[in-house]
Amino acid sequence: MAAKRPGGWAARLMGLDRRIIFALIFLATGLPLLFPVNLPITPSPRVRAAFDTVDRQPPGTYVLMSLDYEPDIKAELQPMAIAVLRHCFRKGLKPIVLTLYPAAPGLIERALVIAGTAEGKKRNEDYVFLGYKSGSQSVILGLGESIRQMFPNDFWGTPLDKIPMMKGKNSFADFPLVINLSGSSIADYYIRIAATRYQRPMVLGATAVMATDYYPYLSSKQILGLIGGMKGAAEYEKLMDITGDARRGMDAQSLIHVTIAILVLLGNLALFLTGGFRPGGSGGSREGTGR
Amino acid sequence: MRYGPLLVTFVVGTALVAMFFIPHHKVQEGQSVLLDWANVVYAFALILGSLSLWASHQRKFLSRAEGWPYSFVTLAALAFVTIAGVVQGVEEGTLVNRYYNMVNSPLASTMFALLAFFIASAAFRAFRARNAEATLLLGTAIIMMIGRVSVGEFLWSGFPPVTEWLLDVPNLAAKRAIALGIGLGAVSTALKIILGIDRSYLGRS
Amino acid sequence: MSEALNTSWFDPARINLLVGLALFVAFLVINIGRARSGREMYIRPMAGLKAIDEAIGRATEMGRRVLYLPGLGDMSEVGTLASIAILSRVARRAAEMGCDLDVPGYDPVASTIMDGAARQAYIEAGRGDAYRPGTVHYVSAQQFAYVAAVTGIMLRDRPAANIYMGSFYAESLFLAETGNQTGAIQIAGCDQVTQLPFFVCACDYTLLGEELFAAGAFLGREPVQLATIAAQDWAKALAAAMVVVSLLASVLGHPELGRLLQTR
Repeated sequence: MAAKRPGGWAARLMGLDRRIIFALIFLATGLPLLFPVNLPITPSPRVRAAFDTVDRQPPGTYVLMSLDYEPDIKAELQPMAIAVLRHCFRKGLKPIVLTLYPAAPGLIERALVIAGTAEGKKRNEDYVFLGYKSGSQSVILGLGESIRQMFPNDFWGTPLDKIPMMKGKNSFADFPLVINLSGSSIADYYIRIAATRYQRPMVLGATAVMATDYYPYLSSKQILGLIGGMKGAAEYEKLMDITGDARRGMDAQSLIHVTIAILVLLGNLALFLTGGFRPGGSGGSREGTGR
Repeated sequence: MRYGPLLVTFVVGTALVAMFFIPHHKVQEGQSVLLDWANVVYAFALILGSLSLWASHQRKFLSRAEGWPYSFVTLAALAFVTIAGVVQGVEEGTLVNRYYNMVNSPLASTMFALLAFFIASAAFRAFRARNAEATLLLGTAIIMMIGRVSVGEFLWSGFPPVTEWLLDVPNLAAKRAIALGIGLGAVSTALKIILGIDRSYLGRS
Repeated sequence: MSEALNTSWFDPARINLLVGLALFVAFLVINIGRARSGREMYIRPMAGLKAIDEAIGRATEMGRRVLYLPGLGDMSEVGTLASIAILSRVARRAAEMGCDLDVPGYDPVASTIMDGAARQAYIEAGRGDAYRPGTVHYVSAQQFAYVAAVTGIMLRDRPAANIYMGSFYAESLFLAETGNQTGAIQIAGCDQVTQLPFFVCACDYTLLGEELFAAGAFLGREPVQLATIAAQDWAKALAAAMVVVSLLASVLGHPELGRLLQTR
């Protein structure tokens, strides 16, 4: 059967200029931030599990928090960090925070100030920030032996032995809960070392793209909760009954997704009208082709 | 035939594999030492890489090759960060730290943010129902895109459970299968390197 | 409470991994023996790898270069090692066809090693004098600085073919989409499962998962290399059989086999 002669607008739509698509995405991002709609958010079972794990800890419990992200993914992980820190502070838990990313300390310091100010908590009385240490896997292995060997001082140079909150806390064994918010394979090291080797209960936060990689660990109970991406952070904020950057950003994310879906459907409508659809066709000779 | 590097690879590779099974504290300390040595090697390689970067951009700048102003900016930035870092250090408040926070970090965030635009143009081009498999991909993509955000829940309460099922069952099954293959491929490649079957890293096929 | 110093010489919880490793090595030895005895080792055609020759030929005819991206891993990542093996083959083909190659490197150690591998490939192709210093060049060890540099190269130099082989992360779509804009033929292979969908959308050919690790053997066609792929397949078949058997056993009320397969 010969292909239909393409209609004018359908053919033009098939080859729509990228710049028009970019302009539509720009509007879809900007408009909801200027005119918020506050769409409903229902926490998923995975985020609820993470929330419940933290919520179950009795006041005074020490929590080791490794916040491993840099400015490029802070949009997803910074709101998550603030929400989890505020939860820890509200429950009277004692977070000991560290990072394995060189560009993260500035972000983490801001997160601690925001969360601490909101919940009335003080540095070195209610939380300790150890700062950055290079080495990833070797640092995590070292945390299992001696935190002081890895971090003799806190981020501001105070020796850990001079911080009353750190008395008697020197390895994974002293922390009933480990929380890792990570945008990289550092999460794999924590699962392998902290959760599996040292049997520490663990909650994980990851970017939306990486979160699905950790579903198997959730089903095998190697991690007890999983917060994925900005949506996960928004769900956590909803459970905390706070409105942070994640909840504010969900309107924009929603409109962007809808815009892309509409563009895709329009593109397919144009394909149908120009006779490009072949329902009986095979996958083609090219493997995994996107064209 | 370069037996020296092959022998070093074999001995160190086998030792590291053995260390995985030996929990003796002395052995684990040895593993930490090896990991530290890897960091030291990386630091020296960074110097080598920086010199190579300097050399290639200097060539372009001096010969006024196409794009030479960009090479000048690269050389100037490399020199500035190196000298300022050596003289002042990189702690909070230093020039390098401020440069990183005020220039490098926002630039990295901006680049990452551009992904939203690229995803849109890639999706528009790729999600076309040209055949049965592509139609299935298209349908799943639409359901996931709408169902994973608040608007999906707003339109139909069934969207979130459907997307969770898609992620938990078919997606996870496929990912596990691919991950199993990747894991075995990684073991195979590592064994080939350790046993000297693959010597491409030495510059030999 | 601090841990007492461990003085045992074997972790019994890892015996299943040791048995698995021993089996894998046994499969390797058996298949290398089969290969050396002259037995033909069949490997199924992979469209993406067959297309590499087509891509290099296209670049030669157009007088434009081939851009080879080895990924953002360092030498400790197996994806990078696989990428170096593929680069040797690609460089050899490029040398034979007289095509220009450009390899921007992310990791300084890997860049040095790739330079040696590419140079050696040119020598083996009898075109050692044609190897251009700077073919492999270190760019940056920062993810998006690397992306900015490479996309700049794509938009200015307009390579005819882009080959992505290695470990890629969030920048995968950025690179592939920019390459698509320039009209280059694109072939990708990545060991990060989360990035495969982006490459599938934006590239002409994508190697899925373990095909990246088989690529070096496929391109070189050396019997011993092909034997390692056969060993990999045997191990995969065994793993699949054990998954099915332990699932059936669990359903029938005997989860012991499943527990045997758990790792620590």
